[in-house]
Amino acid sequence: MEMDSLPNGTAASPGPTLGPAPTAAGPPPSSKLSHLANSLKLEHQFLRVPFEYYKKTIRANHRVVEKEISAVINGVSEAADKNDMSSDDAVNHLSSLVSRLQGLKRKLEEGSKTEHLQAQRCRARLDHLESADVESLSEWNNTRVNRILVDYMLRMSYYDTAVKLAESRNIQDLVDIDVFQEAKKVIEALQNKDVGPALAWCAENKSRLKKSKSKFEFQLRLQEFIELVRAENNFIAITYARKYLAPWGTTHMKELQRVFVTEFCKLYGMTLEPLLNIYLQAGLSALKTPYCYDDDCTKEDPLSQEGFRKLALPLPYSKQHHSKLVCYITKELMDTENPPQVLPNGYVYSSKALEEMARKNDGKITCPRTGFICNYTDLVKAYIS
Amino acid sequence: MELTAIKDAFDRVTKKQKLSNSKVQEVFDLIDKEIKQTLQKLQSSNDRESRIDCKSVLADLKAKLKDIAPLSQLESTQKELNLALSKYPKIVEKSFVPDISKAYRNIDFDTHTVNEIIGSHFYRQGLFEVGDCFTSETGESVSALAMKSQFQELFGIVDAMKHRNLEPALNWAMFNSDKLKPNGSDLLLKLHRLQFVEIVQKGNRDRALQYSKACLAPFASNHMVEIQKLMGALLWTGRLEHSPYSHLLSPANWDTVTGELTRLFCNILGQSYKSPLSVTMEAGIRGLPPLLKFMNVMAGKRLEWQSMKQLPVPVELDREFHFHSIFVCPVSKEQSTEENPPMLMSCGHVLCKQSITKMSKNGTKSFKCPYCPSDVNSAQCRPLVF
Repeated sequence: MEMDSLPNGTAASPGPTLGPAPTAAGPPPSSKLSHLANSLKLEHQFLRVPFEYYKKTIRANHRVVEKEISAVINGVSEAADKNDMSSDDAVNHLSSLVSRLQGLKRKLEEGSKTEHLQAQRCRARLDHLESADVESLSEWNNTRVNRILVDYMLRMSYYDTAVKLAESRNIQDLVDIDVFQEAKKVIEALQNKDVGPALAWCAENKSRLKKSKSKFEFQLRLQEFIELVRAENNFIAITYARKYLAPWGTTHMKELQRVFVTEFCKLYGMTLEPLLNIYLQAGLSALKTPYCYDDDCTKEDPLSQEGFRKLALPLPYSKQHHSKLVCYITKELMDTENPPQVLPNGYVYSSKALEEMARKNDGKITCPRTGFICNYTDLVKAYIS
Repeated sequence: MELTAIKDAFDRVTKKQKLSNSKVQEVFDLIDKEIKQTLQKLQSSNDRESRIDCKSVLADLKAKLKDIAPLSQLESTQKELNLALSKYPKIVEKSFVPDISKAYRNIDFDTHTVNEIIGSHFYRQGLFEVGDCFTSETGESVSALAMKSQFQELFGIVDAMKHRNLEPALNWAMFNSDKLKPNGSDLLLKLHRLQFVEIVQKGNRDRALQYSKACLAPFASNHMVEIQKLMGALLWTGRLEHSPYSHLLSPANWDTVTGELTRLFCNILGQSYKSPLSVTMEAGIRGLPPLLKFMNVMAGKRLEWQSMKQLPVPVELDREFHFHSIFVCPVSKEQSTEENPPMLMSCGHVLCKQSITKMSKNGTKSFKCPYCPSDVNSAQCRPLVF
């Protein structure tokens, strides 16, 4: 008998009390987990860029090895094939090859050091992604905002700020400042009407640019031609070119900078737009409602600020499938926990706010938006589905 | 996040890279050794004046190097490395969204506005040096600088509190006491309480008594219980940690008061508590995955996306991102507008006006509420303002 009733009793009592509790306390952790997982999936560039950089270093180092080793072997073959080589000549020749090997050895050591550092950086990124955890998300999110800001600085060529921000937050391994050092050289040269570094960059990345059918080098060559024409002034044709082609020089330089940045980003697997713009746009749309532009928009809404409103203007409004009611007084969400109540004048506030008001004012309720006064007992509940 | 597969692929890359490097080293050593040996042979033959045929020695070396075949030796490790190098990005691409700009609308953000927002963000996060560097590098006008001095004051106060110095905080709270009152804040009392506990903890009972007379007494009328407790703590001067009042020493008390002060400070400045840039980015990070999913499924709709007035999919944001009441009619699934307001029916359920008009056949007959058995007369419905 007892054996029977005991399990029944224990099973029945905690069931209903424990059941609804987790749902009432905000969204269940599983949805938070999936939100987190979805947001991490956006971090493709975060892993890709350092890896491309690493890969590039490995390839470049290997090319050096191949070049040097074949040079040394050819050196030996040449010497062996020569007929009139004295023993002194042979000694000198071999000594020079040995010192060349010495040089290669140094390069090998340096090369493997850089490779190691870059591999570490790739691994640091993986570890950082893995460290994202629902429990301690706010700090991780702060770091993400800072990472995105550094990305913006680098793309807009605000290098000093990028370095400073990365250092002050200690996130050097999580941002791509060194990758952009490469771009900085090219862009600054283009600003000074020097296409040399850009052409060198093209030569360095020849095969990949060819694969993506890039026209960048052609455009650079064209620009170089224009610059040459501009320097000459003997023939009418050239005067003509100066008159009608050269003015393109300044605008074209800007265009070239843009084209370079596009190719550069493609090569490293970066988005063409700064990450900040992408996230900002999605965020503004997610937050944008017709009420954001009202005068009494709460300060906590980013869209209460002029700058944010201006940016959001050409963007779509958010979409809702379900009602989201925010109490005008407490700014808290009105839901089954804190249901909305209707004043006789049709204005709606949260139960919490109205109860508090009634407690402080002997059961009298004053509508903060119209000044209408009524009794707490005059209120009716509204059911929102 | 499940990164094991990706990490494994990366480990393979580094392993192959090390293998390739040691192979290079090995080949290098072989060549180096052969050449040095030959060199030695030639040199020693010179010393002894015994003439070795240098041509045959060199031919020997050439043959040996050819046997080593250094470049083809490197080939196989290099091939394996290349394989690992091309495999890794593919795995990464599979587990991540490779191009998050697919949901980007092609509009140019005004750089000036964006920079202004970023500048203010730096200052309000207390990154003053970074902010200064940014404003000078961008050459933007200095409207963000107004934030700087205001937030410098805040961070000065917070920093002092970290070092258990309450003076700047008390000065600020007293200076702004008339602005704090309408907020219903008792921040000043909380600050005095922290100060009082500090004095008690340090063991100076006379000073504590003096302090309570000067600074706590004015609060006695409204906060009697609170102050009685503090007076009780006075008995344990110098050994508060062993008393029933030990909770007063918790560092969490400082954190809560610092948080409350920051909130009130921003409030009085007319600024939000959280950086609006951070809030928007967080919303963006939440919003992008469903949008990208939509773009993938509706690849044909990309053109339309550029001109849509409303997002094609809802974005579920946490409650701290809801700043406005949005009423969605449960029948028509449309958001309420001024012309189509939410209406309270006699049973307490709420629908949009248009839905009620439709269900009541233009108000000509009563209808059953879709959510309960009540019969609803459309004339008795009244509009709501949230």
